[in-house]
Amino acid sequence: MHFFIQELVNGLTQGSLYALIALGYSMVYGVLKLLNFAHGDLYMVGAFIGYFVIQWFGGPMALSVPVPLVLLVMFVLAGGGVGMLGVAIERFAYRPLRDAPRIAPLITALGVAFLLENTMLLLFGASYRDYNTSAFISFSTGIHIGPLNVDIVRIMVIVLSIVLMFALTVIVNRTKLGRQMRAVASDREAAEMLGINVDYTIAATFFLGSALAGIAGVMAGLVFNQIYTLMGFVAGLKAFTAAVVGGIGSIPGAMLGGMLIGIAESFVTGYISSTYTNLIVFGILIAVMLARPTGLLGRVPLQKV
Amino acid sequence: MKGRTFLALTALIAGIAAGCGSSKSSSTATSAASGTTSSAAAGGTTNSKCAVSIGVEAPLTGMVAVLGQEQLAFAQLAVKMDNQANGTNISLAQGDTMLMPAQATTVTQQFISNAKVVGVVGPAGSQEVEAVGPLMTRAGMPFITGSATNTTLTSGKNPTFFRVVSRDDVQGPEDAHYVVNHLHPKALMIVDDQEAYSTGLVSSMVPVFKSAGIAVDHESVSQKVTDFSALVAKVNANTTVVVLPWQVAANAQQFGKNLAEQHKKVVIFGTDGLFSPGTFTINGSYVSSFGPDITAIPSDASLVAAAKAAYPKFGTFGPPVYAATHVVDEAIASVCKSGQTPTRSNVLAAIKATNQPTSILGQPIKFDAHGDLVGAKWFLFKINPQGKYTLVTNS
Repeated sequence: MHFFIQELVNGLTQGSLYALIALGYSMVYGVLKLLNFAHGDLYMVGAFIGYFVIQWFGGPMALSVPVPLVLLVMFVLAGGGVGMLGVAIERFAYRPLRDAPRIAPLITALGVAFLLENTMLLLFGASYRDYNTSAFISFSTGIHIGPLNVDIVRIMVIVLSIVLMFALTVIVNRTKLGRQMRAVASDREAAEMLGINVDYTIAATFFLGSALAGIAGVMAGLVFNQIYTLMGFVAGLKAFTAAVVGGIGSIPGAMLGGMLIGIAESFVTGYISSTYTNLIVFGILIAVMLARPTGLLGRVPLQKV
Repeated sequence: MKGRTFLALTALIAGIAAGCGSSKSSSTATSAASGTTSSAAAGGTTNSKCAVSIGVEAPLTGMVAVLGQEQLAFAQLAVKMDNQANGTNISLAQGDTMLMPAQATTVTQQFISNAKVVGVVGPAGSQEVEAVGPLMTRAGMPFITGSATNTTLTSGKNPTFFRVVSRDDVQGPEDAHYVVNHLHPKALMIVDDQEAYSTGLVSSMVPVFKSAGIAVDHESVSQKVTDFSALVAKVNANTTVVVLPWQVAANAQQFGKNLAEQHKKVVIFGTDGLFSPGTFTINGSYVSSFGPDITAIPSDASLVAAAKAAYPKFGTFGPPVYAATHVVDEAIASVCKSGQTPTRSNVLAAIKATNQPTSILGQPIKFDAHGDLVGAKWFLFKINPQGKYTLVTNS
């Protein structure tokens, strides 16, 4: 039972990160029908912002302010900074192509991804950077029952992810901005005719989705320690897959897809073999897609006749 | 319906890409293949006949860019110093392989089509050497690696290939015997990183473990995995050693942190790629290497000073590339001194005749008929609580 719980926590941690990134994919696809392949690299930028905040406060071994304050600043700056970066990318790379054939913004998104990766490589080099989280948040904190060891950082990541997902759900379902986002996602032209500021709504969507990716980047740094300029690729790929499996455009679907992939990876590694993790996990996902091409929580779009 | 099909297809492609452990880098191969850059020569009496190029194939970007950048820095240092010493005008052409066979093939084609390139240093990975070997052979291009150790590379299929480091069938069994005889595990976990370098070492280690009656849990993870907590959860009470023949030191550091997080006391035994002071610092871990720690070789003092100025945090990947570049430099210089114009064939002949009584690696450099280094050594280091590497033994 301990082993089961250990692997479940490991899977939930990884799944939380996939889910947060998947939300951005799903939101952007919802309003623009754009697969924003640069999204994984926003996650990487967030991780780097968090790293530099730690250095700014004296480094992991000698923080000059209390740890909660450092964490708060990391999340706020990474969320805000990456959110603004997402808005800038939308403004300068995607907005001019909004009415172009779908392949054009798709290729542009790949270009933006490479631009971000290589800009970061030029600025900060190829070296891995280490959050060294255990230097300021001890492994002895958390839950330790017999062979079960759950680090406090993992608990924080899971809880914070759930809070963020809940907050996003409230924003989308209960606020004016959320109604505007849903209206734009449903029919952009009709929303514009109804007086909704479409540019603002799309920019706000990019901000929210990118901010979540930035925060996920900080979380990844805290849990997995090592960050590098190419870290966004695999995470972005799996998050994108999670978004599609959950039903792209569906916020609960993105959460569900992310969690499912994280947990499946963990259990396959733990109970079968790490050798077959990707093979089995993606095999399951392909089967899901074949059975439900719209994803687990995706809806079949109404056909106008 | 078209939209849904498009999405399903994209997800399928994404899944296959991740499942195969492939990398986005493959799609960037063309853009990332760097152009030729001159880093040539300073000082000395320049011989115009010796104005030739050496190609350097290294992972300058990507997952192991840290190692590739170190290799490039040492190649540049060797060319600079040898040009000064020999009065040659050798320049370096850089090729970024990203440690990917496909990319290495592209870079190799570029070097082959460049008539100025008379020899290549690299590529770094065994899987890359396997890919470029036929091209190099067809072009008669001599190439010397400073880090590819797979045993089969010098089985005769690559007649223009040389290496200045030991083979897996030296390092792998030496590592395995040390684990068996000194760490005495009842059970161990060995995790390959799904690259030829890693799987080659695993193949040479596992038989030794099994013949010693050790229970072996063989796992496999992609280099792109950054969380090993699910794997670490499988480390049971009987398992006292985890063997990580990996190329990414940062991943091993994370593996060690995952062990600490789950309060598991296990000795990590790593290989070459983990020799990275400052990155892999798990107390009590062992790292074996095909190259020495040149900072501990007294005769290398001036070289170490120059290397530290060029690349402050180096490990064991740079010095063998210095040695390899030096071999090509000296071969070109000897051709020039004999009054000939350097070509791939006469440089190849000169490399075969290499007989350096000493080198940056603290040993003579001479190749056998297959291109292997005669008397190649193996080194084992242990990491102390301060993260420093101390030599435990060597062959």
